[in-house]
Amino acid sequence: MRVSRIRVMMASMLVALALGSVAAADAGAAPVWKFNGTTLAGHEDILGAAISSSMTIPGMTTTCEHFLYNMKVENSGGTGKGEITELPLFECHTGSGICTVEAIEAEKLPWPTKLMTISGTPYLFIEGIHVSILYGGEECALGETVVPITGTAAGSISNATESATFNKSTFTAAGASLKAAGTPIEWTGLFPTEGFEWHRNESISVG
Amino acid sequence: MMSLRRSARGAALLVCVGLLASIHATAAFAHTGEFAKFNYCPSTNTEVKKCLYSVVEGGEFVLGSKKVPIVNPVTLQGGYGKVNPETLISKFYEATNGVTLSKTPEPVPGGLLGIVPPEKSPWIVKQLSKFFFENGLTGVNSTLELALPASEITISERAQLFQEGTALRLPVKVHLENPFLGSTCYVGSSTSPIWLNLTTGTTAPPSPNQPITGAVGTGSLLEGETILKYTGIKLVDNAWSAPTASGCGGILSFLVNPIINSMIGLPSASGHNTAIQNVTLYSSPTKTVNAH
Repeated sequence: MRVSRIRVMMASMLVALALGSVAAADAGAAPVWKFNGTTLAGHEDILGAAISSSMTIPGMTTTCEHFLYNMKVENSGGTGKGEITELPLFECHTGSGICTVEAIEAEKLPWPTKLMTISGTPYLFIEGIHVSILYGGEECALGETVVPITGTAAGSISNATESATFNKSTFTAAGASLKAAGTPIEWTGLFPTEGFEWHRNESISVG
Repeated sequence: MMSLRRSARGAALLVCVGLLASIHATAAFAHTGEFAKFNYCPSTNTEVKKCLYSVVEGGEFVLGSKKVPIVNPVTLQGGYGKVNPETLISKFYEATNGVTLSKTPEPVPGGLLGIVPPEKSPWIVKQLSKFFFENGLTGVNSTLELALPASEITISERAQLFQEGTALRLPVKVHLENPFLGSTCYVGSSTSPIWLNLTTGTTAPPSPNQPITGAVGTGSLLEGETILKYTGIKLVDNAWSAPTASGCGGILSFLVNPIINSMIGLPSASGHNTAIQNVTLYSSPTKTVNAH
């Protein structure tokens, strides 16, 4: 009787340990920033430039032809962290024939970022996003209206292509959410990324 | 003969002009489809940039010790002008039919006597209470009316969308209606209006009220990006104050006013009153509205 109790306890402990390790792996053994395969010591500025990027506010798509981000990164406490310090956006337009983008600006910078692993894939998670878009167009319902975009964003990182991909799937996987004046929106973008300060021309990876 | 004909033509012309003028005075444009909501927007006024049609579909109005749920939809309509770059607010323009804020009566729970059965009471008790205390004689309706011209209303799209500051500033008075109270029983007046500074953000009232937070709602674009529709907007203000009642009971107002003041707790200082409005809003540029 006593032996069987011990067996049950041990089995429970093993199950608990196994579940704990699974949970830890799922939540992400925290990835770190690496350059040329070496873990980053100190900090580095990295630059992401979108090949294409657009956001869809229900009923209308807004696209920026030139969408960059400048991010200061470091490894702290065994985790890759950072902050987006600049987000220049140029040549933005809507998919509508009557609405224009008069101005677009990132505000309340810097925005904190962190690396995380979800189902074995490294992700870049951005918090505190705040972008204001002033729309124009005499016949546009959003004409002369400043629309705030706020929330969080998450993109999957590919070490092979040294890029970050943001889309509906990556947002869902990481629990990120962007809203335009309270209304959920979709943001898609593919950002090739490179070191910009001490590690220029070095391959960038996370893991 | 010529002179008679001329006079007749002149008279006919005057009649036509008169008719046109009277039509213009009510100025109901028959816009079509979704744009019919903006029939009473002063869209031909060149200072008006956007038309607004909004419906308060729920919420509550707490005046002193009386809480009135909004059960009958209230309409706010008209137009608003260009944003002032310094204040970031827009001037409001009256609806062309004169009904900028609809005078929609809301029943006061418990009526004149203020007797409300507890929430847990059986259905039959609630119905009997309504029958005795909220009937045509003892029942009281509360109607929110504009206390000043519509031009005193201000609106801020930015405040609504950013949840910062006053999105809608309304000067109102509360009309209390009941056979005993007469037709001139008001809380607030044109000289002493109740100012509602409604926000989608968070209020900062004096105690005993606590901060409450509104909601920006969910937006969508209709009719090819020409109409902006927002549902689920929650406008709140719980820092306003209300003066004493006046004109209640007709010639007996000197007796009835103090009773009403005592029953409601008037004047009611800031921190004791609350307005919550659940709103659906439509807006569209005047140029677009005029084209439909």
